[in-house]
Amino acid sequence: MRISKSIYLFFLPGLVLYSLFFLYPTISALFYSFTDWDGLSTAFQFVGIDNYTRAFTGDSIFQKTIGNNLKFMLTVVVFQTLVALAFALIVIKNTKTNVFLRALYFFPTILSSVSVAFIWAFIYDPSMGILNQMLELIGLDFLAQNWLGNSNIAIYSLAITQVWFHAGQMLIIFVAGLQAIPEELYEVAKIEGASKWQTFKSVTWPLLAPSATIVVAYTTIQSFKAFDLVFAMTGGGPNNSTEIIATYIYDVAFKSYQFGYASAISIIFMVIIALITYLQFKALRSDRVSY
Amino acid sequence: MKNKLWLATGTVGLGLILGACAGESGGEDSSSESGDATQISFMHWRGEDKAVLDEIIADFEEANPDIRVEQNIYPSDQYQATAQRMLQEGSTGDVFTSFPGAQFESIQSAGFFEDLSGEEFVSNFDESLIAVGQKDDAQYALPYQLVFNMPVYNKGMFDELGLEVPKSWTEFQEMADTLLENDITPIAFPGADIGPNQFMNSMMMNNAPDEEVFQKLQNGEESLTNEWWVKTLEDFKLLADKGYIQDDALGTNQDSAMAMVANEEAAMLATGSYHMNSLLDLNPDLELDLLAPITVEESEATYEGINTATFMLAVNSNSDKKDQAKAFIDYLSQPEVASKYANETGQHLTVNDVEYESEALQNTSYWIDERNTRFQPRFLITNAQIEDAVLSSIENVLGGEDPMAAAEAAQQIVEENRE
Repeated sequence: MRISKSIYLFFLPGLVLYSLFFLYPTISALFYSFTDWDGLSTAFQFVGIDNYTRAFTGDSIFQKTIGNNLKFMLTVVVFQTLVALAFALIVIKNTKTNVFLRALYFFPTILSSVSVAFIWAFIYDPSMGILNQMLELIGLDFLAQNWLGNSNIAIYSLAITQVWFHAGQMLIIFVAGLQAIPEELYEVAKIEGASKWQTFKSVTWPLLAPSATIVVAYTTIQSFKAFDLVFAMTGGGPNNSTEIIATYIYDVAFKSYQFGYASAISIIFMVIIALITYLQFKALRSDRVSY
Repeated sequence: MKNKLWLATGTVGLGLILGACAGESGGEDSSSESGDATQISFMHWRGEDKAVLDEIIADFEEANPDIRVEQNIYPSDQYQATAQRMLQEGSTGDVFTSFPGAQFESIQSAGFFEDLSGEEFVSNFDESLIAVGQKDDAQYALPYQLVFNMPVYNKGMFDELGLEVPKSWTEFQEMADTLLENDITPIAFPGADIGPNQFMNSMMMNNAPDEEVFQKLQNGEESLTNEWWVKTLEDFKLLADKGYIQDDALGTNQDSAMAMVANEEAAMLATGSYHMNSLLDLNPDLELDLLAPITVEESEATYEGINTATFMLAVNSNSDKKDQAKAFIDYLSQPEVASKYANETGQHLTVNDVEYESEALQNTSYWIDERNTRFQPRFLITNAQIEDAVLSSIENVLGGEDPMAAAEAAQQIVEENRE
C-alpha cells in the first residue's frame, strides 16, 4: 500500500507539541545540569559533572530524599494496588449499588490536591484531629500518634493520604480489566472444581496483568511525583523526613537558586523513574498469559 | 455530519478567540497603560492586608489620577520561591516587597532592585531600622513593617497567677513550672510550620550574642557543634522534656497553636507580634504583650527580644514605570497613610511619626525604643539550604534526637553547602 507523503503532516502538530513541552525542556535541563546557572542571571559557567558528583557524594539531603521517595513509593504502590484491586473485585458487577460505589470511591480523585492536603492535615492533627479522637473513642488511644510530626511515621502518613486520593482512579482501571475477562473461563474453573483462590490465581490475576502493569507503573510514577501533597502537608519536614526528590528539586531551584544543580537532580530523577518503570514492566509482563 | 463538523470547528474557533481575548485583557490588567492612567503592579505576600491596602490605593489614585495600582498577592511561601521569576520578566511587581535575608540577597545579586538612595521619601523611614535593605552603601529596599519575632504572652493570665516576666533561664523555668501546676501549657509551639523558624531567634539570641555568628557559620569560622548552638538545642530539648511546650508540638500548626492561647490552654504563643491581632480576634478579652525567653543568667543577657524590619518596599529595576512606582512608595511612607495601615493591620511600622491607636500596639510600642532587641538572626542566614539545616536540627531535637548528634548532622549539611 502506498502512503501519501501528506500523511506526515498529520504528525506535525503532535511533534511540535512534544518537542516544545517535553523534548526542549528535557534537553535544556540536561544542558543546564552541566552548569552553575542560578536561574536568574544570564551568566553561567560550565562545571562538567560537578553537579552529578555533588548529588551522589556531597549532598546528604538528596540521598535522604531518595530513601524517602522509595519508602513513599513502595507504601503507595502496595496499598494503592491492593486497595484498588480489592474494591474492584467487590464492585465488578454493574448493579446500581456498585455503580454508585464506584463513583463514591472515585470521588477523592476529582478533588484538588490542596483541598485533600488541608482535609488530611486536619484529620492528622494530634490534638484536634479526628483520627486520634476516633482512636480514643474506640479505646485504641495507645495507637494515637503525632502523624505528621513524628519523623519516623510522617512519610507513611502522607502515603496513606496519597492512597486515599488516587485508589479510586486505579479501581476504575481494574474494573475495566476485570470486566474484560471472558465469563466462560470462570465457568470452566468452576466445573474443574477450582477454589476461589485458585480461580483468582490462575484466571483473574494472569488476565488482569495488563491492567495491573498500568496501575503499578502509573502509581509508581505518580508517587514519585507527589509534589503537591507533600508540599502542602509537611513542606518536607520534620527534619527532612518527608522531603522527596520532587520537593527537593523545588527547594534547590526556587529557594536556593541553584538551577544547574536542580537540573542535574531532575535528570537523575528522570533516570530513576524510567529505570523502575522499565523493571516493573518487565516483571509484570512475565505474568501475562492468554487463553 | 457536515453540520456537526462545522459546529465542532466553530466551537473550537470561538473558544480560541475567547481565550485569546481573555489572555490579552489579563495581560493588560497586570501592568500597563489603562485609559489615560498608567497602571502599576504592587506585588506582595500580605493577603490579610488586602482590604486596607485597597482603601489606601483608592486614596492614592484619587490624589494621583494618572496612576492606577493593582495588587498582585501571593502566599508568602510561594512568594519566596517565585517572586524573582516574576521580577525578571518585568510586567509584574513595578513596586514589590522583599523579605530580608536570603531573598533580599538573591534579588540584589540578580540586579532587580532599583537603587532608592537619594529619594526624598527615604527620610520618612526610621534610619536605624532600614539598614537591612542596604547593600554596598545603596538603599535598595525600605522595610515597612516592624515585627517582633518573639513569643506573645497572656499578660492577664500572668497577672492573675502573680507571675513576673522572667529575666533569666532559671526564672523562666520557675515561671513555666507555675503555669504547669495550674494546668496551663507554658508555650504553644506550632512546630508543624513556623514554630522552629520563629522561636529559634529568641532561643539563641543570648546564647550567641555575636550578630555575625551565622555569617561566620557560612564562611566556616563557626560550627553548629559549638557551644552556642548545642546549648540552644539543649534548651529546646529541656522545653520538650519538661512539658513546657505541648505534646506533639511538631504536628501542631499555627492555627491550632493560636487556638490554644486564645482558649487560655496555653500562656505563650511561640511566633511573633504579627499574631496579636489574630489572637484578639479569637478572644477579645486577652491582654497581650511580648516576652522572649532569656536562656542565660540575668547578668549574662545581652538582648531582650527580636525585631525584624520586613515587608521591604522596592522598585523593580526591570519596570518601565519607575517614577509611578516611586510615587506609590512615597505615598505609603506618609505618616498618616502609614498610621492607617499600622492601625488597621495591627503592625508596628518603620515609618517615622506613626500614631498607634490600638491598645495592643500602644502597649507594645515600648519594644521599639525602650528595649534592646536584635535583628532576627535567621534572616542573616543567606543560604537557604544552611537555613534548612539549622531549622532541621531543632525539629530533630524535638523529635527526640540528642542535641549534639542533631548539631553534628546539621553541621554536615552546612559543610556540604558552604560556598
